[in-house]
Amino acid sequence: MNTEAPFDQDLDKEVTSTELDEVLDANKDLYNQLNQIPEIEAIEAISIEEDIASESEKESNPLSEFFSRVQGFYNDNELVRYASWALVLILLSTTALTILEYDMFYNDVIADVDGSFTFGNTEPNWLDTFFHTFWWSIVTFTTVGYGDVSPVTHLGKFLTIIIMLLNFGVVTLLGGAVASVLVAQRLTGDDTLDENKFEGHLVIAGWNKTVPSILNLIDSNKDSTSVIILVNETDKDIIQRAIAGYERLDITHIPENFTNESVLRKAFLDKAGTFMILPDNSGLLPHEDPDEDKTVLTCLTAKSISEACNVIAHVLDVENVSHLQRANANEIVIPDEHVPHLLAKHVTDPGVPQFFDDLILQEEEDKGLQEVRIPKTLSGQTHNKISAFYKFKYGWLLVGYAIRKAGFSLDEQMGESGSPLIRNMIKEQLDGAGINLTSDEHVIVEINPADDYKIDEKHSALVLR
Amino acid sequence: MNPTPEQIQKINHFSKVHIDMCAKIASVVDIEECEPKEQLLTEGDTGDTMVLVFQGQVEVSKNMMVKTASGFATSRKPIIRLETTDPRPAADPETEPTVFVVEAPAFGIGEFSLVLDNAIRTAHVNATTPLKYGILSLEDFTNIVKDNPEIGGSVYFEVAKSAVNNLATASGDISNLTQAFFFALTR
Repeated sequence: MNTEAPFDQDLDKEVTSTELDEVLDANKDLYNQLNQIPEIEAIEAISIEEDIASESEKESNPLSEFFSRVQGFYNDNELVRYASWALVLILLSTTALTILEYDMFYNDVIADVDGSFTFGNTEPNWLDTFFHTFWWSIVTFTTVGYGDVSPVTHLGKFLTIIIMLLNFGVVTLLGGAVASVLVAQRLTGDDTLDENKFEGHLVIAGWNKTVPSILNLIDSNKDSTSVIILVNETDKDIIQRAIAGYERLDITHIPENFTNESVLRKAFLDKAGTFMILPDNSGLLPHEDPDEDKTVLTCLTAKSISEACNVIAHVLDVENVSHLQRANANEIVIPDEHVPHLLAKHVTDPGVPQFFDDLILQEEEDKGLQEVRIPKTLSGQTHNKISAFYKFKYGWLLVGYAIRKAGFSLDEQMGESGSPLIRNMIKEQLDGAGINLTSDEHVIVEINPADDYKIDEKHSALVLR
Repeated sequence: MNPTPEQIQKINHFSKVHIDMCAKIASVVDIEECEPKEQLLTEGDTGDTMVLVFQGQVEVSKNMMVKTASGFATSRKPIIRLETTDPRPAADPETEPTVFVVEAPAFGIGEFSLVLDNAIRTAHVNATTPLKYGILSLEDFTNIVKDNPEIGGSVYFEVAKSAVNNLATASGDISNLTQAFFFALTR
């Protein structure tokens, strides 16, 4: 924080126009100086290059990607598995029967096709015969059984018996798979999620009246993620009505119990950027309070799935804060925390609470207080230059910084002190007990620091747009 | 067979002792040989002898209580390996990379026995290659120091240095263990 003398102490002093000019000139010099920093000019180009680089990293060999997708589809889809094996069986039986009963099928082709359709020029060749046998196989497998073609030799008939018995099993399994897929979809309302689009997305567990406002604010900030998964057991129609009308947001609803690990995995929590746990009013009567144990339990489950996921928990009961801290929640939001402060400010500094309301409740697109990334090339510069950069280039007011602070690291803390044996033993034993050697990264803010305050890559700017 | 005074002087603790005095120490030490895996010192035992290793590699290890899949168990953990460089070990020494290796022309183990009567051995010491070593007893050393007090100053200084280093490491270990303890409690 700026530690200079309070502004009102200087109010009584007379400010001459020369002094004012001096201050303005100093600022002008600062702006000019800043403008001469060659990196500033190159920022746009660098930002574009960074974007291109990150996109090209995402590209991989399309052929291997195609095969891995096909393999994934085969592994995940029971129906496809049975259908593939049925097709293989049909092709195998066709090949076997074409070989065993070649003469019979060959003569049949001549009689049936009568020269109108042949792969051979004047008379049917092996391909015609194979196709004819394939026709027979399909007719048999689908239990249609026209009877226009049938095996003649004992061996052919014996093989057909085996095929028909196998067919009975395959058709039954195939039918069962179709039924189970339909039933599963009916039960879970599962419109299978496309895994590819879920990376760094937001998962919101629980439903209450604050969710539409949260979605509104996220929708109006173009820099934030647009992919959101809602996990709650509230009636589908209510959710559909609430999430309709967002142009930018791509919202998916999973109508299941979010305390289950499998459900959170289904929401791709391992790849999520932020996980928000809210007091859940799903299925509650108006006078009933949400069960906040669910919030703590869900936080624990989420952290066991992905230690890196940024978990934000909203609790109504302050008692649960310590539980959530133990469960490693990154940020904990408590309602009414700011109320005494706002009430007092109405008395001591009228205008501040109104300003605060305007700032927080600003829902206009790309307006209000926002966190923006500081270009990498400005890392190492002082606060006054960063401030001038945003004012000069975008007309934004830089009010402070959000700083991502690495959590406590036992490994770093131990350093090289003591014997390596003891250090290794501590690491091994804690690791064995499932205790992570580092605590989570968290965000702290630095508001209006001194002019010579240095910025590093852990800082992002809090600007008033 | 006695070692040469030069062999004695190669050992860090005696490096500042005059060669004539080293000859006196050499005269009370016999060179012995042992095979790999033979145990020279046992953790917890008391002793009044210092082991002088002239050729070969030894492994220093400690008993540790560790948590395993089947519960807690005592396991012997290697801490460090000491290896002579002049001459090199007669057979290939252990090179497993997880254990730190300290090389020296020759070295002494159990140096606190030159100061303390019945000093407690703080670790196990095992040969990992064929070893040529000698034993210097507290009684012999004390007799030499009585006759030649100038030896005592430099040798006791090296022993004190070693004790201070051990104390600093132990202090670091206590600090690390305390931090780990509180860290584990808060998780």
